[in-house]
Amino acid sequence: MKDFTEKILAYKWLIIILVTICTILFGYQIKNLSIDADILSSLPDNDPDAALLKRISEKFGGNSMGVVILETDDIYQTEVLEHVKSITDTISDIEGISTVTSLTNIINIKGQEYGFEIGKLVDEYELPETPEEFEKLKDDVLANEMYKGSIVSEDGTATLIIFTLQDGSDVRAIAKSVIDKTTALNLPKKLYYIGSPMLVTYISDLMKGDLTRLLPIAFLLIAIILLLSFRSASGVILPLLTAVIAIIWSLGIMSLLGYKMSMISNNIPIILLAIGSAYTIHVLNRINQLRITDRDNAIKLALAYVMIPVMLAALTTIIGFISFIFGAYLDMIVDFGIFTALGTFLACLFSIFFVPALLDVFTSKKRNKALFFKKIKKSYLSENFLSPLRILLFKHPKYVLTTWSVLILISLVGTFFIKRSVDIQEYFKKGNPTREAERIMVEKFGGTKPIFVLFKGDMQSPDVLKTMIETGAYMEKSPDIYTTQSIADLIAELNAAVTGEKRVPDEQEKIEQLWFLLDGNEVVQRFVSEDLDEGIIISKFKSPDNSSKKAFANYMKAFIDKHSTESCQIEITGMPFVDITMDRSLLNSQFGSISIAIIFVVIFVGLILRSLSSGIYSAIPIIAAIIILFGVMGLTGISLNIATVLVASVALGIGIDYSIHIISHFNHTYQITGNAKIAIEDSIMISGKAIIINVISVSAGFLILIFSEMVPLQYFGFLIALSMLGSSLGALTLLPVILILVHRKKNNDHFNLNQ
Amino acid sequence: MRHCKLISIILVMLIFGVNVSVAQNADSLLQYMDNLMSAPKDKQATVKMILTNKSGKEKVREAMMKQKGKDKKLYRYTKPESQAGISTLSLPDDVMWLYMPAFGKPTKVSLLSQSQTFTGTDFSYEDMESKSYSERYSPTLFESGDAENYVLKLIPISKKSKYSRIVLYLNKTHFYPVKMEYYDNRGNYFKVATYRYTKQGKYWYAEEVLMTDLKKSHSTGILMTDVKFDQGLSDDEFRVENLKQ
Repeated sequence: MKDFTEKILAYKWLIIILVTICTILFGYQIKNLSIDADILSSLPDNDPDAALLKRISEKFGGNSMGVVILETDDIYQTEVLEHVKSITDTISDIEGISTVTSLTNIINIKGQEYGFEIGKLVDEYELPETPEEFEKLKDDVLANEMYKGSIVSEDGTATLIIFTLQDGSDVRAIAKSVIDKTTALNLPKKLYYIGSPMLVTYISDLMKGDLTRLLPIAFLLIAIILLLSFRSASGVILPLLTAVIAIIWSLGIMSLLGYKMSMISNNIPIILLAIGSAYTIHVLNRINQLRITDRDNAIKLALAYVMIPVMLAALTTIIGFISFIFGAYLDMIVDFGIFTALGTFLACLFSIFFVPALLDVFTSKKRNKALFFKKIKKSYLSENFLSPLRILLFKHPKYVLTTWSVLILISLVGTFFIKRSVDIQEYFKKGNPTREAERIMVEKFGGTKPIFVLFKGDMQSPDVLKTMIETGAYMEKSPDIYTTQSIADLIAELNAAVTGEKRVPDEQEKIEQLWFLLDGNEVVQRFVSEDLDEGIIISKFKSPDNSSKKAFANYMKAFIDKHSTESCQIEITGMPFVDITMDRSLLNSQFGSISIAIIFVVIFVGLILRSLSSGIYSAIPIIAAIIILFGVMGLTGISLNIATVLVASVALGIGIDYSIHIISHFNHTYQITGNAKIAIEDSIMISGKAIIINVISVSAGFLILIFSEMVPLQYFGFLIALSMLGSSLGALTLLPVILILVHRKKNNDHFNLNQ
Repeated sequence: MRHCKLISIILVMLIFGVNVSVAQNADSLLQYMDNLMSAPKDKQATVKMILTNKSGKEKVREAMMKQKGKDKKLYRYTKPESQAGISTLSLPDDVMWLYMPAFGKPTKVSLLSQSQTFTGTDFSYEDMESKSYSERYSPTLFESGDAENYVLKLIPISKKSKYSRIVLYLNKTHFYPVKMEYYDNRGNYFKVATYRYTKQGKYWYAEEVLMTDLKKSHSTGILMTDVKFDQGLSDDEFRVENLKQ
């Protein structure tokens, strides 16, 4: 080991130059890293529901549809229609907008005594003014399934301006333009924006805001904590420098490999800042300690001693992150796991190679200057916290154990109350405009979660169209479906205009000829494929509740099984269906990743410390901390979602380090002294201090996420900090108590003697 | 002082006079085009419509067209097969009758919105209106370097037009349209029609028209073949009862 550390110092210049060059290169790559806030693109292709949803969104353009909501007390007023018209005109004008549909430009085909009239629902050049005209408009809207609840809310207090984007257009630029230009109209009515392009843009803005706002705060906070702990410039600069370089490399590699920033990976910088600095802290701590006795060889000796624990600590953290790869449903969680693991690995490498190299360069210059070293001050921490703690542990080990048992029992009960949530609405803070928009959509337009029923068959066949009508009617009986729309409804409307009967004609010929009136109508492209061999029912699902979604899935399955035939194949998908799978996978991936992480951690720790019992002992505090974590989630109502599902494994990876430090310190001292009591005391007093500093700095970094604009990340930050506290307390109390109890049985003398 | 007044009157008259003469010129040019278009007493042709979407996919429709005067027009579709037999009859005062054989009787269609596109083509009902251009637009002549064409700016008289202006390129020798550029209500250039005129007997007619919607990247080509003029089509041909054949 000493040879190895000598080599590190021998090649110090090479290491420093290499790291510097690569950092510049990777840093340059970061500018190409783009943000992808689209949940749809993160859905896995191996889930049939998600794959079908993606295919339908692409084929029928659902994913490129944005919505402006205008809410007021009564939309049937000339002034309001003028506003709708100016919004419609403004949006139509934006480059990259393909179509705009609103109350003031929608086409109305209406049956009359003598035939039918084709016109606009509202004459945009002569807007209705009299109560009679508005009454007529209201009747027209409510009579048409295609408008009621789709363009205008049934209670007449909100209306939608729906727009679609051209293929391949710059979604974010257009979305921004829509917001800027409609806001610039300065309308007295409140406008809300929703729909995939708006949501994606909004989320990526939040992400950017989070990053630019929170990262500097986290940086500053960790710097302050490091300054207070080390009281030296290198103690602040080096840990932060390694973390920053690890962040630059990880993001640079992400960009090079063509990955994009997701809602989850957006936090990689803050997470790496918090955990990436920890390894350097350990290396520095040990070097500082050894400098007191052997200045010249301090770096070499310290490295030889600290390399294994640091690598082990990094390895366990990496295992925690890697465990997301197994059983995670969303691709973005897998990506997050891969790149945080990479960043952790890099931070560990830098702390072992780069930091000693830098230190060696620095100290050789300063060698003659500092001859005297400050005595280690009697630490406030040791005096007021660690000493009393040590006394308590040895005096009342059973009380401590009982306290932990009670805590764990209460938490176990709490775990039964854990809620799961995959609802996007919960991602935004209360009062957030997107959340408001979502509320209006749910209350007045039947929700935002799209449901699609795909029909494969001849879209001009009366049988297929009638099955579509029947399916739509069946769906509308569900309490969570407000309206359904399909080409069959359009055909029925047209048939009503021509013959007075609102139904799908019995003869294919009639349908084909009615199609003459639809040809070229842009609305048709939203409902049927170009070759007329596929068509969809478009609907929205109201409830965010998972059991409602499952009930609806079963309700629809029964119908589809009965009605799907060779010539009319029916499939259903939509966000609620994806949510069901995502929800199920939350649990699976939670159990999957935790059990994988625990097993590997126990094995690795056992192997490296060459004792299986050490592996098992070190896992106890963290398992306790995780049980408490779930207990707190259950008892406080924090739900398990795509962000909080990551907490347990991350906490395990980081939190086990504390136990590793205690147990390896104990083993080391026990081997030398043969006295378990001394070994335990030493571990608490010396390693305990490092653990506390570490917990404070890591938790501070994660706690910054409480100020995130995204609710799941706020909880993520809070819960990680909580788990850090739990696992460090576990390592400082529960683990020593177990060691005391185990060794007191084996070797009572030592304990009695010393008492 | 009187001198001044006289000069200013002369000046005003001069300016006014010049203006009037240019306006008259633009008006008469548009009138020439209208006359050229409505010269035949009646017209009969096979019309092929080729609709091309932005991915280059084509849809073809074919119809027999008969026209008498400028406001009686009958289209009888022959292709695609599923829509064969569908006929539209346009009569004066924006009245249109639609006959779909499967439904057995003609239906009257009132067109309340002129800006709507005509069943899948890039032409709006406004483009296909029977009223002459002079009745619908007020023209101004542009000075342009174009040696072959007059360039006219047409401003719609109706407030309900979808266009804010149309820029018309008119052949200087024969007064047929070569190109029309359409600007929407917000002044954006969004649609263009190009014409290929040819002469048969004493009449000029558009052998080919290509209308392209620039925003939608969608185009409609109209090809006329088997054109016959002045066949003495009777009014009976344009009777609603005769749509059913």
